[in-house]
Amino acid sequence: MLAGPVVSNHRFASLLRLAGEAIRVEAQFGTQSLEALAWVASTVGASVYVPESLVRTPTGLRFALANPPLRVGAFSSLSLRVDGVVVPSDRVRVRLGPACPWRETALLTPSEPLELAAGTPIEFDADWPLREGGGEITLRLEFHNVAIPPLVWLEVRGTPREMEFP
Amino acid sequence: MSEPRVAGAAGRRAPVLLTSSASAVLADGRGDLCYARESRGAITEWGGVYAQLVRLTGPWTLELADGSTTTDLPSCRLDDAPFPGGWRSHHRWNGLSIVQDVVAISPPAGAVRRLQIRSTSERPVPLTLRSRFSPYLFPVLVEGIRPLEFEVRTAADDISVRHHGFGLRVATTVPPSRLTLDGRPWIGGQYRGALTAFASEHEVTVPAAGSLEVRWQLVGGLVRDLDAAVADAGGRVGSPDEWAARRADDLRRWTEGTPELEFPDAPEFERAYRSARTALRQLYTAPAPEMVGLVAGYPWYSAIWCRDLAVMLPALLWLGDFEWVARSLDTVFRFQSHQSLPMLAGEPGELPMQISPGPIFLYGTSDSTLRFPAVVEQMHRHTGDLSSVTEWADALHRIVEWGMGRSDPATGLLRHGGEAEQISETTAALTHVRYGIDSPDTTIWDSADRRDHALDVEVLWWETLRSAGQLHGHAADRERQATCEGLATRLAATMRDRYLWPEERYLFDSLRGSKPVARVRPNALRAVSAGLLDPSAARAAVDRATEEDLTTPWGVRSLSSRDPGYDPRAYHDGQVWTIATSWAADAAFSVGARARGIEYLRTIASRFEAEDGFANECYRGDRAEPYNSCFLLGFSVAPFLSLLFERLWGIRAGGMDDTVRVVPAFPDGWKSARLRGLRLAQGTLDLEWSPGTVTARWNGRRTLSIDTGGSVREVLPGTTASLDLPPFAER
Repeated sequence: MLAGPVVSNHRFASLLRLAGEAIRVEAQFGTQSLEALAWVASTVGASVYVPESLVRTPTGLRFALANPPLRVGAFSSLSLRVDGVVVPSDRVRVRLGPACPWRETALLTPSEPLELAAGTPIEFDADWPLREGGGEITLRLEFHNVAIPPLVWLEVRGTPREMEFP
Repeated sequence: MSEPRVAGAAGRRAPVLLTSSASAVLADGRGDLCYARESRGAITEWGGVYAQLVRLTGPWTLELADGSTTTDLPSCRLDDAPFPGGWRSHHRWNGLSIVQDVVAISPPAGAVRRLQIRSTSERPVPLTLRSRFSPYLFPVLVEGIRPLEFEVRTAADDISVRHHGFGLRVATTVPPSRLTLDGRPWIGGQYRGALTAFASEHEVTVPAAGSLEVRWQLVGGLVRDLDAAVADAGGRVGSPDEWAARRADDLRRWTEGTPELEFPDAPEFERAYRSARTALRQLYTAPAPEMVGLVAGYPWYSAIWCRDLAVMLPALLWLGDFEWVARSLDTVFRFQSHQSLPMLAGEPGELPMQISPGPIFLYGTSDSTLRFPAVVEQMHRHTGDLSSVTEWADALHRIVEWGMGRSDPATGLLRHGGEAEQISETTAALTHVRYGIDSPDTTIWDSADRRDHALDVEVLWWETLRSAGQLHGHAADRERQATCEGLATRLAATMRDRYLWPEERYLFDSLRGSKPVARVRPNALRAVSAGLLDPSAARAAVDRATEEDLTTPWGVRSLSSRDPGYDPRAYHDGQVWTIATSWAADAAFSVGARARGIEYLRTIASRFEAEDGFANECYRGDRAEPYNSCFLLGFSVAPFLSLLFERLWGIRAGGMDDTVRVVPAFPDGWKSARLRGLRLAQGTLDLEWSPGTVTARWNGRRTLSIDTGGSVREVLPGTTASLDLPPFAER
């Protein structure tokens, strides 16, 4: 019952497996390597998706990133999936911070790409109504860089907050 | 204020790169440590200070204000130039003459900037100097992520900024009078939170008809090393003159220990050799006492990538830096995995993709591990030192076992692909936020899917088996030697049997399952250079590679322009890579096509010259324009250096039994060539070539046996011998 209701058996097994690996890394390469790995993992985990930014809007949802995920550069397409379903690109908008205009992701092309640098904040707004009273959802973003083909992706599991109006 | 300038396109001036043993400074040469460069298709700012493979800062600017007006350094710049060990810019503003010196330092690792301000005014001139930088404090390897939160502290002598265990300390010879965090005044003490820009102001007065000097020192890396290094240095701000003199002396001594090459008939090759040698030296790094290597390139690969290191180390053997090679190999093999580590995609026997004094970054490439056995074997041939051969043979045996675990027992082919997927699987259930790059394969062209049996990876596997077999032989382990030789023989037969592509008179790029992947890539030429094909097939492949769909005037494409998947901007599916041009040169020489080999080398040399001594990573496939390219990559200089010795001079070291083979491939029309100071085992060798003859002077402790292809001659220590060369068989 150690895992209890808050930690699934699957997750508990994963945690145990990871802990075992961490011990092996420490045994072979020392505490400092393991510690530094933890710094990096912690920073990467905390520096892209803005915690609690996922909110339900009158037409769908909105969320934000504080850094591009793992790659800088020009992105010729960007797709959003909600619980595995692709949101049509003409219903997804993106902007690089509140001072920038929204851009429809359907209009991103190799010659009109979305340009992301380290530290660039990115906001997403999608017309994709979420089911009433629904719980946790999974968002998946896929970015296609103009120079390096493999997709860069980000997955976030979270429960949307209700949007606060002033 | 001056406008930002973007580098990376053709015709722009070269960047400023200053390096020390554990730090680097990047700038655009206009006066501040700013450097905007196209990266991955968009403009990214790479200027600033790097140390211990950690990016310490983003752009770092200095401004001067006299109460009514303000200037930045680029706006008042007169000129700039490197000086031995550093870089200097001259500026003039409001009657003041300003000289700025910038030097990379270590230890502590970082940079020193100095402003010397001279006034001709009859009255003292009060000034405010403003320093502003953006803290970064994250390993360079993690692309695209800048930490959000930092801890800032003021102390008696300096100001520190930290993020986890990464940190920087900045000190000045003139204490700050005002501090700001993101433009907000800060009285000092301790701050923890978001931070984009840290700035300090320093009030100074330039004496009447006099001058003053202000220095900034910004150092950092891992906090655990940083504080000790600063303490050891006495906490003082270093003198750029002393640091620069030390760096210049270090470079001079290193250069004096390397061979000199003279090609009177091709002075462009002499210049290219010297340029590539200096460029390679800039990549040396020792980010921690027990960690030595070369960084892959600048700006965004300024980390130790083991694949790149393995490509560079043979050039260091030719340059005679045996110690750096040995220490680099010791460093990498210390990280050889002894257990399965799915979290890092590591398997027993495997070598990592990237290493640093902080975290180890991932195993899980198909080729990094396979590149090292041949380097170990070559090190033994150059040094002649077999004292540790048993330990090395054991380490290589672990690699062979790792490779055997991935091999098809029937064909001997090694399977690659899927390496990175296990990392994602390992962490899938643990976090609410996951990231990844859908990279199903991790060969040298790691953005292309070349599963399951890319030919160049099979060649590396064959070289691994052959090198391991040779080392086991030296270690008198006949059983393992025979096993490796048997596996290598079978693998070679499979490659000859499965990869020939008669319709194209070339070689298939890969096998997916057992089905050939019919794509024309330069990687296949590695099988030619390895001597795995019969002469007619090898020659046909070299001829095919010279067609214009693969070979351009600025180098060799990563994929034929006739391929349906060709894209001139795609990193590994169309762009021109200098390392691919080196492969083509290597293959051409290996089949006796001297003229073609020379032309490929000349293409590379012309790039070095056009790029002011730097060597771009890659270019667009449709024009000679760097695109998504580091401005200096070890891949682009080291193979060129090796080819000058291995193919043009035709030298093969045999230091273990005091032999050397010298079969030059100088083209018709050349009248002479000289090589002085080639380090070999316990001595140095000088060679002088003229058509039909090579004269050798040997300065060693034991007799050297020289094989010129037609005859073998014993040369006594301290003597000179003239040897006849057989006619070159041009094919």
